[in-house]
Amino acid sequence: MNPLEVLKGGYSLLKGMKVTLKVFFSRPVTCQYPRATLPLSPRFRGHIKLKGDSCRACGLCQRVCPTGCIRIEAERVEGQKGRVLKAFWLDFTRCSHCGLCVEECPQGAIGFSQDYNLASFRKEDFVFELLSEYRSRA
Amino acid sequence: MRLWLKRLYRLYFQSDPFKAGLCLLAALTGVSILLGLAWLLGKALWDLGISAWGVDFLRLVLGALWVLLVLFGNALLLVWVERKVAGHMQWRIGPKEVGPFGLLQSIADAVKLMGKELVSPRYVDKPLYLLAPFLIFMPCVVVLLVIPFDPHLQIRDINVGIVLILAFSSLTSIAVFMAGWGSVNKYSLLGGMRSISQQIAYEIPMVLSIVPVVMLSGSLSLKGIVEAQKVPYLLLQPVAFFIYLISAVAEVNRTPFDLPEAESELVAGYHIEYSGMRFAMFFLAEYTNLFIVSALLTTFFLAGYKGPWLPGWAWFFIKTYLVVFVIMWFRWTFPRVRFDQLLNFSWKFLIPLAMLNLVVTGGVLKL
Amino acid sequence: MVAEGLLRDLDAIGCVVEEVPYERKGYWFDVKAQKEKLPELAGAFDQHGYFVEEVVCVDWREELELLYHFNHWDDPRRFSVRTRVKATDPEVPSIWNIYPGAGWHEREIHEFFGVKFKGHPNLSYLFLHPDIDFYPLRKDFVPVTEEDKRVLLGRFPEGDEESFWLNMGPQHPSTHGVLRLLLKMKGEFIEDMEPVLGYMHRMQEKMAEERSYSQYYPNTARMDYVAPLAFSLCYVLALERCCGIEVPERAQFIRLIAMELNRIASHLLWLGTYLLDLGAATPYFFAFDDREQILDILEGLTGSRLTYCYYRIGGVYEDLNEGFLEAVDRFIQRMKRRLKDYDELVTGNAIFLGRTKGIGVIPKEVARRYGVTGPNLRASGVAFDIRVCEPYDGYRFLKPKVALREEGDSFARYLVRLDEIRASLSLLEEAISKVPEGPYRVEKLPKRPPVGDVFFATEGARGEVGVYIVSDGSDKPYRLKWRSPSFSNFVSFTEIGKGMLIADAVATLGSLDLVVPEMDR
Repeated sequence: MNPLEVLKGGYSLLKGMKVTLKVFFSRPVTCQYPRATLPLSPRFRGHIKLKGDSCRACGLCQRVCPTGCIRIEAERVEGQKGRVLKAFWLDFTRCSHCGLCVEECPQGAIGFSQDYNLASFRKEDFVFELLSEYRSRA
Repeated sequence: MRLWLKRLYRLYFQSDPFKAGLCLLAALTGVSILLGLAWLLGKALWDLGISAWGVDFLRLVLGALWVLLVLFGNALLLVWVERKVAGHMQWRIGPKEVGPFGLLQSIADAVKLMGKELVSPRYVDKPLYLLAPFLIFMPCVVVLLVIPFDPHLQIRDINVGIVLILAFSSLTSIAVFMAGWGSVNKYSLLGGMRSISQQIAYEIPMVLSIVPVVMLSGSLSLKGIVEAQKVPYLLLQPVAFFIYLISAVAEVNRTPFDLPEAESELVAGYHIEYSGMRFAMFFLAEYTNLFIVSALLTTFFLAGYKGPWLPGWAWFFIKTYLVVFVIMWFRWTFPRVRFDQLLNFSWKFLIPLAMLNLVVTGGVLKL
Repeated sequence: MVAEGLLRDLDAIGCVVEEVPYERKGYWFDVKAQKEKLPELAGAFDQHGYFVEEVVCVDWREELELLYHFNHWDDPRRFSVRTRVKATDPEVPSIWNIYPGAGWHEREIHEFFGVKFKGHPNLSYLFLHPDIDFYPLRKDFVPVTEEDKRVLLGRFPEGDEESFWLNMGPQHPSTHGVLRLLLKMKGEFIEDMEPVLGYMHRMQEKMAEERSYSQYYPNTARMDYVAPLAFSLCYVLALERCCGIEVPERAQFIRLIAMELNRIASHLLWLGTYLLDLGAATPYFFAFDDREQILDILEGLTGSRLTYCYYRIGGVYEDLNEGFLEAVDRFIQRMKRRLKDYDELVTGNAIFLGRTKGIGVIPKEVARRYGVTGPNLRASGVAFDIRVCEPYDGYRFLKPKVALREEGDSFARYLVRLDEIRASLSLLEEAISKVPEGPYRVEKLPKRPPVGDVFFATEGARGEVGVYIVSDGSDKPYRLKWRSPSFSNFVSFTEIGKGMLIADAVATLGSLDLVVPEMDR
């Protein structure tokens, strides 16, 4: 083993240690969740939600969804042309956040929410009924 | 405080009040019996008048208590220190939830490990497998008996202290190999074999770097070496210091020399098949060994307990923990050395260098 | 150049060669051959220095069609060799002795389609589980015959006195993802190895036949979740090529910026995990800190952090958000400073050099015969980068600098990836200053793609990502095959891994940058 090489090697190790020491005395970059949260971007894709009253229950979102997580229940109300939305079921255990339903809706009635705190112990808690959620929000 | 107690309670007993009550009762009974015995002993000794034999016995008992305190207290503390140091070197903070600054984290870990099921494979070699965790702890206890924490705080100052230390620290290799062979697992066998050759290879430079220290101080007893250091031997023997530091890191199986427990190659090496309290023994033994080699480093090269103003043991612990910090710094900066490179480094570089240092020291002393 | 010489040889053998329009098909020459001529053809290609990109099988009900895609480093004009066999008794001579990499693709085709390759030494199960009793990718239910079942189950060669089989199992901290390697060890040296793949097999190719083209977007993102936009880009570009759609320039620039950010993120993740394999725990956190910055930028743009469903056929889903270009600029300046830290902490480190210099050398010939691409190939001295050889999308306007090293060992692969990060940073700097205004999406898309096939290759973070789509005029693909770079890179390890120490094997596997989901699909 060449002693000069070992010395050079040792010097490179000391340079590495200098970097670690510098980091040791710097401020950590972590965020203390759940006591503090980081801001989400406005485009964050949580689960979808109804944005207004304009859903016509056409079922395009149901047809375009790759995993089949949307189920629309519609009914005919006399006096109104077309169908009216009765219930909008979203099975969130299958949603892949692709955004095809949001894109496809001709009325622009669905959008992404910013909800990410969705942990639960039961699978049933992840089947959302979006119409009642919209009504309780408004 | 109540919050922490409640969390500990929920953690261990999982709201089984009967089990909790029973354990608490047992603990209280045990503690009260011990205290009672101690009080009785003290009263008896006081009444009888303390003889020389009594003083000796008392010193031994207190010494044993001190050793146990250092052993377990230090292990718990070092676990916390390691995790904090690791965290801060990685742009994050370490544990912070359990207790202020995460200080009770080690206790929570210890309680968790105690509560785990002791799973072991069916065809293990029972004597080897079961003895190994204890055997890895025993040498540490013996070595702690001779380290001078303070001029007045050394349990026994044997006049061949160094020989005792070197002899007992080789026993850890046997324990590691027992663990590796006893758990019938190819990975742990590989880990055990690597550990043996590594520890043998690095004992020689360690011994060779201590010999100049002995030559300079003229005594084999640890207290004698500390007393003889007017100037810390770090300045007089820098080469020996570095050789000893590197060999010590290799002896304790820490990165960059931690192949026996290389996590990503051998999935925890020689202690794969241990769980629960047995694993805790290996874990604590590693930190105790770390403390011991740092303590020895301060004794030999950094003038042990000497220093102005503060009492001796304060300086001793400050210096020791500084060395511990440096060794931890090594761990979190460097990748692992490959096995044959490790052995090459020892046999082809460290040993010739240590011998050269020895010859030069001898020559200078003669003049 | 090279192709002309090959064309003369192919004429001599007696195959029908047809020139096809590259802009609609993705390859230049279409060679129709009889199946008996295949070894001769492969020999001719080998003599002229071609490599096999992939081997595809398409099930046309009564016939099975096998396609071999050949390409050359200096003359990147792709050849597509086709041959058809009867579906009742599909048997084709194997070309594994000329191109061992193609041998692995043949093994996969055997278990998925039932095509028997004469002369192949080991046609046992690679991806599928031994309990399956039909050929999955066939259109009809075709059960596995008795003798074929015996061939498929005949794995596991025996060991001898001095060696033992070590299972570097699916749960192992250093195989990235669930990769299982059975290593025949002699002491600490590896004598032989048998990989068991398929722990992450999700039948992405079969799913493509059940979903429409636009419903397949989420699948493309989940193929490789470390740099998902590479696969999304490849898929989208293939369909645009097939339908002849002209994408607006603004969309092309946006796609390029997002793709380069993904490439940097992928290399950073590789850096962190590679050093974690070698034992250094801290660079992992540094790399992930930088990767978080990229993920934050991309979250502002697309809304997702890991699996982006952002690219669409004809453009992108949404336009740039406010502050995107400034955020990218800030990131570039910060990353340039951080690269200095990596250099000090890792690159010069004596221990790291000792672990990676001279370890796992992939010679050029081995790389060619196994179809290795990407930074692994560029570390062995071959300047083959599809962004430069076959420019597509935004790379027609901006050329990246190709990182090149000669040695071919793990350290060279490390340096090439660091150089690629730097090249991506300078490319990004140029791109964000040149983003044009305009639409970000094509308004009118054709309803269905025309009948035919198309191949598209892009340069992902790990190598050449390719997709081969056969369309039958309906709104679902008839056959979709992914050319996964990790698979071709991994099979070269079966050759260079023999005779290595196990620590070196870990270092080499890590340096190849394997991501198992794209290997297993």
